[in-house]
Amino acid sequence: MIPPSWIAGLGAILFCVGLSGAFSRKNAIIVLMAVELMLNAVNLNFVAAAVHHGDLTGWVYTAIAIAIAAAEVAVGLAIFLSLYSQHDTISLDDVTMLKH
Amino acid sequence: MADHSKPEWHLMMPVAAMLLFPVICYKIGWDAIDSSMFIIAIPLVVWPAIAIIGQVWKKTDWWKNHLKEGGIIALAALAVSLCLTIWLIIQFLGEHGNFGAQDSDIASFAWLNFDILAHDGVSWELIGSDKLGFTIGFGIYVDALTLMLLFVAAFLCFLIGWFAIGYMTTDAVNEDRNHRFFAEFLLFSCGMFGMVLADNFLWLFIFWEIMGLCSYLLIGFYWEKPSAVAAAKKAFMTTRVGDVFLMVGLLIIYDLYNSLSFEVIFDPAIIDTVDPERLRLALIMLFIGAVGKSAQFPLHVWLPDAMEGPTPVSALIHAATMVNAGLYLVARMFPFFGASGFEGDFSDVALLITWIGGITAIMAAAIALVANDIKRVLAYSTMSQLAYIFAGLGAACWFANSGHPEFAALAFGAALFHLFNHAMAKGMLFMASGSVIHEMHHAHHQAHGEHGGGDDDHFDAQDMRNMGGLASKMPVTSVAMMLGSMSIIGIPLIGGFWSKEGIIGQAWHAAISQDGGAMLVPALLLLATAGMTGFYMSRMWFMTFAGKPKTDVAEHVGEDTHWIKTPLVTLSLVTAFTGAIFAVLNFPEWLGEGEQLMHGIESHGLAEQVVHVLEHTFLPHESTLLAVGWTAIVISAILGPFLAARIHGGRLAAGEEANPFVGWLVQISGSVGRTNVDEIAKSGFAVALHNRLYIDDLYEWVIARTVVPLGNLLAWFDKSGIDGVIKGIESGSQASSSWIRLMTTGSARDYILMAAVGALCIFALLWGMA
Repeated sequence: MIPPSWIAGLGAILFCVGLSGAFSRKNAIIVLMAVELMLNAVNLNFVAAAVHHGDLTGWVYTAIAIAIAAAEVAVGLAIFLSLYSQHDTISLDDVTMLKH
Repeated sequence: MADHSKPEWHLMMPVAAMLLFPVICYKIGWDAIDSSMFIIAIPLVVWPAIAIIGQVWKKTDWWKNHLKEGGIIALAALAVSLCLTIWLIIQFLGEHGNFGAQDSDIASFAWLNFDILAHDGVSWELIGSDKLGFTIGFGIYVDALTLMLLFVAAFLCFLIGWFAIGYMTTDAVNEDRNHRFFAEFLLFSCGMFGMVLADNFLWLFIFWEIMGLCSYLLIGFYWEKPSAVAAAKKAFMTTRVGDVFLMVGLLIIYDLYNSLSFEVIFDPAIIDTVDPERLRLALIMLFIGAVGKSAQFPLHVWLPDAMEGPTPVSALIHAATMVNAGLYLVARMFPFFGASGFEGDFSDVALLITWIGGITAIMAAAIALVANDIKRVLAYSTMSQLAYIFAGLGAACWFANSGHPEFAALAFGAALFHLFNHAMAKGMLFMASGSVIHEMHHAHHQAHGEHGGGDDDHFDAQDMRNMGGLASKMPVTSVAMMLGSMSIIGIPLIGGFWSKEGIIGQAWHAAISQDGGAMLVPALLLLATAGMTGFYMSRMWFMTFAGKPKTDVAEHVGEDTHWIKTPLVTLSLVTAFTGAIFAVLNFPEWLGEGEQLMHGIESHGLAEQVVHVLEHTFLPHESTLLAVGWTAIVISAILGPFLAARIHGGRLAAGEEANPFVGWLVQISGSVGRTNVDEIAKSGFAVALHNRLYIDDLYEWVIARTVVPLGNLLAWFDKSGIDGVIKGIESGSQASSSWIRLMTTGSARDYILMAAVGALCIFALLWGMA
């Protein structure tokens, strides 16, 4: 049996990888992937806690989070599509509309 | 403008209808005391109505010609107050001059409750006013003093309101703004009635301030004239100095007695239970407030300038009623001096009152000797006569405090009797002077063109050097002016004679009694002032009415409108006869002691009472008083007028005939020979008098060097200190916000970074706390 602390450690590593990806990459799709990575790192934390406590609740939350993440990805990709159709780019360096 | 020479008696119908008001009150079962609240309430309700209606409909015919721009409404309201006042007096006399203690404070309702947050050593607790045992309510306090002053105020407000309709609405200068005049006039009346009737010092103070406000507004009625605006400000500021002291005095009294109600403070069982040292301080503070309001030295400078206001205002506020407020306050302080526990404690305060009175009396009279503006002569005369009353009250307080209540009552009664006589005479004198000024103004307009620069040229309708010989042209005014002057001078048997003799006599009585040496100087000053009064009042009359017209304007003067004549005739009769009648009725004793009216007649019979009063006045038993009384009569009634006639008198122009009432005076003034005083008039002292003894200049000099720099300093502190903080907050927040704005890049990655850093910080904090 893998100890929960290993699972939590993997989650932390994955989260840092995702975070650095979200900071450093320009392509919006890659950033979205990095965000998904962070989300699943958190899911691993849930799993680790569920194993530690021997409680099913963590597993259930994880399942729900994955389902919601899929919906989010759909929404995110739709935003990128419309962004591309209006600005001909999905490079985050060129998109500063949030300022307005 | 309507032709104002034809009688307009029908316009008085609504005023006459107001006579029914007390009848209705009586019919529904109220007595005079129940109804007395309306004396204040009616003017209070009506004045805003005049202001608002006048502002909206001032251009209409009915407002201008049927309501006389609000004058009729104001007069109707004042008629109610006057009727109720007379009813109150009748009821008061009917109950033998004493309502009794349980009635003197009626209809008091709590309006100001103090809740106090007190710390009992363990916790804070809210103590309600019910537990604390006091509230401040409004009620009516009626005694002889109240009634006397209330009658003076109501009677003169009514008559001068009547006069004002004639004076104000026939002048093109006032077109379309008389509603403001009448509204403020009525608010003033409300303040005066309220101050007199109030049953505690707090309400007295509130109404006192209402009067001060109206005084300010009405002096500045001609707001386009810079001199009027300056005079209004001067009056307001100067009286404010006194008012601050008055307020401090009231706070001390509150601190001492835990109440401001007359009923509580003047309770014989309570009044002398406090520390006399602190009460002395309070009394001096109250007296300074009275000095400011009654224009006594050293706070007198505002009154002569206040003559910038319309003449009815000068007559009412600055001669007959508001300036009496200070006297009323000092008269209200009287019980403190008479309290047995304080005997001898406050003789210094009484001396202060008497000294201020003596100094002001002679100073104002001296300035009046050389004044040429007819209203300024009257203004200084007012100051001088008010000073007489102060001196009389001071003597009364001194007697009361040194254990002579019987003499105190005499002096007190004489002083208040003089207040009555002076108010009647001076109100009338101002109305008569207003009549002269009004007609001079009209004659000037007719002689030099009706329109255009009429007011801008240098003709001064108030300067007596432009008048002369008006006795034949203004018969009613000249007789009124003569009677008023006689009353002020103290010609035997007329008006002010009775009271002025009483004041001078009591001041001397105090001076020659044991320990009274300090009263000697004020007593001497009062005696000297009597002679000066005889001179300056006669001088005014002779300069105005006797001799030949000094300008072509004065040749074309006539008097026409009945609005002006009727009040003049009424007050002439009052001035001429009430002095003698009231003296016979023991009015001063009644004022002094409260229960003596008619007492003399009941015990003596009328003829004996007349003999008794005459003997008492002309042949007092003490030789000093006899000498003083006759000296006063000789110098004021003979010497002063004789000198004035020699200098300023003279026959009328050929073909002019004065009516017999004043003709004899003109004849005498023409046949007493001439004295030339040009040399004296050029002397340094006369110039100093012309410049008001440089007191105004001194104040200006001192204020320019103390108050103005201090004001500048405070203004600087306000600008750079207080405003600096506000502006610093403003510019600081602007700078920081523009710095914060730099973080708003619009790039999603930056936001994520910030969110991450923020989360990290929170995490670190939680970690640290754990």
